[in-house]
Amino acid sequence: MTLDHRLVLSTYAQTARTAHDTLTALDQLSGDGDFGDNLREGLDRVETALGERPSDAAFAVAASVFLDEVGGTSGPLIGLLFQEIARALAHSEDAREGWRTGVAEGLAAIQRVGEAEPGDRTMVDALAPARDALTAGEDFAGTARAALSGAQATAGIRARRGRAAYVGDRALGAPDPGAVGVALLFWSLARVAEPDAAVDTLEELLGRARDGG
Amino acid sequence: MTRLFLPDTAPVEAAVRGLALAHPDLLHLHQDPLYVTARDRDPRRRVGLLSGGGSGHEPLHTGFVGRGMLDASVPGRVFASPHNRQVYEASRAVAGEDGVLHIVKNYTGDRINFGIAAERLRADGIRVRRVLVDDDLATEDETTATGRRGTGATVIVEKLLGGAGDTGLGLDELADLGTEIAAASRSVAVASRAHTSPAQGGRAFELGDDELEYGVGIHGERAARTVARPPLEELVDRMARQVLDGLPRRPDDVLLLVGGLGATTLLELYAVHDRVRHFLDAQSVRVAGQLVGTFVPALDMSGFSLTLTTPGERWLDWWHAPARTPAFPVTQPLAGTEPTR
Repeated sequence: MTLDHRLVLSTYAQTARTAHDTLTALDQLSGDGDFGDNLREGLDRVETALGERPSDAAFAVAASVFLDEVGGTSGPLIGLLFQEIARALAHSEDAREGWRTGVAEGLAAIQRVGEAEPGDRTMVDALAPARDALTAGEDFAGTARAALSGAQATAGIRARRGRAAYVGDRALGAPDPGAVGVALLFWSLARVAEPDAAVDTLEELLGRARDGG
Repeated sequence: MTRLFLPDTAPVEAAVRGLALAHPDLLHLHQDPLYVTARDRDPRRRVGLLSGGGSGHEPLHTGFVGRGMLDASVPGRVFASPHNRQVYEASRAVAGEDGVLHIVKNYTGDRINFGIAAERLRADGIRVRRVLVDDDLATEDETTATGRRGTGATVIVEKLLGGAGDTGLGLDELADLGTEIAAASRSVAVASRAHTSPAQGGRAFELGDDELEYGVGIHGERAARTVARPPLEELVDRMARQVLDGLPRRPDDVLLLVGGLGATTLLELYAVHDRVRHFLDAQSVRVAGQLVGTFVPALDMSGFSLTLTTPGERWLDWWHAPARTPAFPVTQPLAGTEPTR
């Protein structure tokens, strides 16, 4: 199948704008509160940078924006994910195949750099279930559901890595903002690729994230 | 407003510009993003050597860019890791035919930013490996997953790898060697007065006149212990014994660094050195090479660090090999030139 990857990224940007306040509130519980800003601003910049560029180049543009211009630690890590997705899409005829390889390679790169394992309460907790779903041949809607439930499960995890490790139990009860932010990428992908499939509305998702899954 | 003599905006940029202007024969300044490269490089060198980290540790690392040591240095803001783009661009600028080696002090921010840059370089097809320096004994016992911090041994790693790199070693050989050097090095540091807080401008923490922070790092974090201040001989003997015992195996000879933490005078550092030498003599440990001065400070902290490295085969050759940088003491003339008499 082919996919309009510009549309995936602009849907993700729109989603990040809607989710901004929730992501900020989550990050204020466990980090320094700038995750919502960084994600929204980065994706806004991606939309601007995409301009009239072809859909094929979309993730490469997103990768360089997030790697070069987004602050904090999580922004450049998302840039690494985009970099590997871009590379895999460029080498695949089929979008499903490209995403399967790109997410697996992106997760591997993020783990090499950040040294987090599933269960450490980081974005890996959304990415690893997404990788597993894609590997198992799930469609994008199923992948999004896996990523979202992985992100929501972090509400019950005490952090071992990342900023949240410093606050211990105080972050318990609400999910990790990085994991939620990454899961929204898969939610956006599913909306574009399989608009008729049943996934939660964004309002439902964000409500659940705020209430701790 | 800081009490330091620094401009309110872009203090690190100003200082790096000033350093480059002071050494136009050695350094080339890149301003966007900020990094410094060496103007002169041994033609035998096949791997670009790059280091970097937060500012406030001068002359580390920018002062060690030049022939015989680093090919590039990447400064972050005070006590903050550089951005991955700085590391990435600097690495691309100095990668040799066998790639680039990153010398990284063990701090989470540095690990992640250098790691992201390394992934980008790999995506470009540039070979890259990392040496992680983790010599600080004060952080050895902690139950966290973060491990020992990287401090004074970094300058020893940079000098030895520079000497080895100039003999034409490849990336894997240099990365393995750097890892061995870091593993053979241990440090400990004390402070009698905190540094100036880069954020607030005042003293970062308070200590009584008769107190010492035992086991400080280089980012102004307090030590695990505050101790009553003993006489100098007793203090130095205790520190030297701790570092010697902390080495993986007891050495016959060592490389020694007596390092100031920023506001400590040479009068004090040489007095400390005198006592360390006395202690090591009494232990029958020979000092095969030494460095006394301010090389890896914590901004303007009053204090000093002791670092010992157990040298391996050929390491002393690389220690004594000529280097021409803004801050490493010149010990021998450059290859191909005759000493003036």
